[in-house]
Amino acid sequence: MTKHDEARRAFLVRAALGAGAVAGAGLMPDVYAQNPEQRKEADASARPLSSGDGHGAFFNRDNAATIAAFAERLMPGAPGKPGASEAEVINYIDLALSGAYADLQDFYRRGLAQLDDYCRQTYNERFVRLDTARQDEVITALEEGKATGFTWPAAQAFFNTVRTHTIEGMFADPIYGGNKDFAGWRLVGFPGVQATFTTADMQSRQAFVRAPMIGLQAQAKDPKRGT
Amino acid sequence: MATEKTDVVIIGVGAAGGILAAELGKAGMKVIGLERGPRLTTADFSSLDELRYFQRQDLRPNVKSQPVTWRPNANARAKPLSRLNYGNQAGGGTIHYGAVSWRLHEDDFRARSQTIERYGASAIPEDSSLIDWPLTYADLEPYYDRAEYEIGVSGKAGNVQGRKIEGGNVFEAPRRREFPLPPLQIDQAGAVFDAAARKLGYHPFSTPRTILSKPYQGRPGCTYCGFCQAFGCHIGAKSSILVTKLPEADATGNFQLLTGAMCYRVNSDNSGRVTGVSYYGPDGSDNTIEAEIVILTPFIYDNTRLLLLSKTGKFPDGLANSSGQVGKHLMTHIMARAFAAFDDRHINIYMGPSAQRHSIDDFNADNFDHSGLAFIRGAQISVIPAALEAGPIGTAVGMNPPPGIPRWGAAYRDFLAKYFTRYAGLNAQTENLPYADQTIDLDPDVRDQWGLPAPRLTYDWRRPNELARVEYMMRKLEALGRAMGATHVWRAPLNQGSPGAHHEGGTRMGSDPATSVVNRYGQSWDIPNLFIIGSSTHPTMSGFNPTLTIQALAYMSADAIVNRYKNNPGPLI
Repeated sequence: MTKHDEARRAFLVRAALGAGAVAGAGLMPDVYAQNPEQRKEADASARPLSSGDGHGAFFNRDNAATIAAFAERLMPGAPGKPGASEAEVINYIDLALSGAYADLQDFYRRGLAQLDDYCRQTYNERFVRLDTARQDEVITALEEGKATGFTWPAAQAFFNTVRTHTIEGMFADPIYGGNKDFAGWRLVGFPGVQATFTTADMQSRQAFVRAPMIGLQAQAKDPKRGT
Repeated sequence: MATEKTDVVIIGVGAAGGILAAELGKAGMKVIGLERGPRLTTADFSSLDELRYFQRQDLRPNVKSQPVTWRPNANARAKPLSRLNYGNQAGGGTIHYGAVSWRLHEDDFRARSQTIERYGASAIPEDSSLIDWPLTYADLEPYYDRAEYEIGVSGKAGNVQGRKIEGGNVFEAPRRREFPLPPLQIDQAGAVFDAAARKLGYHPFSTPRTILSKPYQGRPGCTYCGFCQAFGCHIGAKSSILVTKLPEADATGNFQLLTGAMCYRVNSDNSGRVTGVSYYGPDGSDNTIEAEIVILTPFIYDNTRLLLLSKTGKFPDGLANSSGQVGKHLMTHIMARAFAAFDDRHINIYMGPSAQRHSIDDFNADNFDHSGLAFIRGAQISVIPAALEAGPIGTAVGMNPPPGIPRWGAAYRDFLAKYFTRYAGLNAQTENLPYADQTIDLDPDVRDQWGLPAPRLTYDWRRPNELARVEYMMRKLEALGRAMGATHVWRAPLNQGSPGAHHEGGTRMGSDPATSVVNRYGQSWDIPNLFIIGSSTHPTMSGFNPTLTIQALAYMSADAIVNRYKNNPGPLI
């Protein structure tokens, strides 16, 4: 995904919100959800400029599939509840490892190799080929430091790092490649950057329902929309 | 290599350095400020980006190129800290801080005497180096007032000239007049906290903050966007040094700011005076400034580091260190924390400014009777967002789920999805007594990007007095959470002894040159033309955030330099 896509999708989200406001105002946080046609259009606009499976900057195909599956277990999607796959967390981590977190490339390479070694020894399969229940067993073993065969990174360190990066990919502004269509913000009901909250907003006991969400790129192009 | 001459050189242009630059410049003194980071502008803060500013710590020193190491005790090997909580640009920490602005209590300035008078000397832990300050609250009050009015603090007075005022902090020390600006608007978290605290018989109030509640001095009032702690204010409503004192310093025509300038040594001669400083420029050049007065105002690690790095044959243990006290008595705030989550309402704590929103002071300092308790001193309790900022990244990394909910998977997702907008954090910012073996020195193994030894912290807050106090405060937080009507109340885990927030100490001030590094003006006992001003001089810390006290002390020192030292250079005491 590129910055161009992020801005374009932010525009499409706003367009969808405009339509939604006519159809039925006040549906929150579902008001942020796009209808299927709009979703398809937004996806189509993103695809040609990304590799199609959310990586290409750093990970090889196998590693990307493993991290994508791992992240989806950490933050699984369900109907109406966007998870790591829908947010394209793998794309965020892939871009981060080719840039801001380039010093963690070997941490990931070795962590992934150790993960698959552990899975083969324990279940005779690589992580991605395990069913989700087994994947969860593996992740639990990492989290608790019980997975054997890890030297560097340690199992817990690898788990904690992937968890932190999954959180970042879920909730960082879409300009960084994750949180696709504000999936993470929609999940938790965060409205993104709002220029002002009124006293009434702040004292309300209700969910905040003012739209739209605006990404950093759209703000930079038109500062009045954001701050 | 360049050499310049000036009247005054200031190292680190943050909370203290910015005030000194402006005030000395106004008095006609030629001032050069060295800042190792850049000088940014309000326009640089337009991108309200939680990943960049909170998670990746832009506006803070880079932990890899500017490491600070920590070990729990002198037998352990120190490792670099993974996050550094101080500023790295002109304006220093006042750019990203939560802008919480307290005056210390009267008894904070005399914690030793107060404790002995009320509970007996045996109440002080044997290993604590608890002392009184060499000045009283009354000495500093005029400068607190000046800092509040010149910089712009919003709040509600609770004690004007001894008259207690409901709605303000009734435990505060007497102030001469109201705050210059009314308190910031209360939010839902504050309202729920306020009601609960009243129900329990406490005295809640809006936390005083250096954030404009109304337009002031040409700057706009806060819009409550919520991107506050960890962020630079994108409209300049947070009264950082960048938008308050630096423009004043510029206007004097006597101030020159050098950015990208890393001071590595304070130079001295055999007469026992300092002669200036040496620094590396952004291009790696090695430069010297000759000055009549050298003022150190960086974050506390660099005060100690610079003094130790500047040792000479005449000062073999480092500058200003004839007492042997440099680097000792490191204190940090211990954060006891709990969370309260609600099924019957939204809190939407991502709205509104800053960190500590609404507070009680009932359990701070010696505001409550410690008889029969296994500790002295207290904590300042507030309602807060999980990471002091309230975006979803900070919330996810800063809020542990309650017992029974894992840290990942569908149950964790559902916990975040439900409670991100329905929780409030409760924080007890707990005072750390001074202990001589909590120290800063030079790391023998780790070096920074300039090849200088990293500051090394030897520190573990888990001593009996602190552990007992943290447990006491945790129970208060849980009681508050229940009184708020929360469906779930649970504790955050405590850290494993590592340094918390608001580091203070290392160059303590005192009345006796044998046991302190500087006098009340921050003037070195050993070297009268060397000043060290900031929280490194604080002998004790209170449960309160230190910045307003740093600023008041800077005003007091500026007055002493302008009115007395300038005409008659020499010891001020």
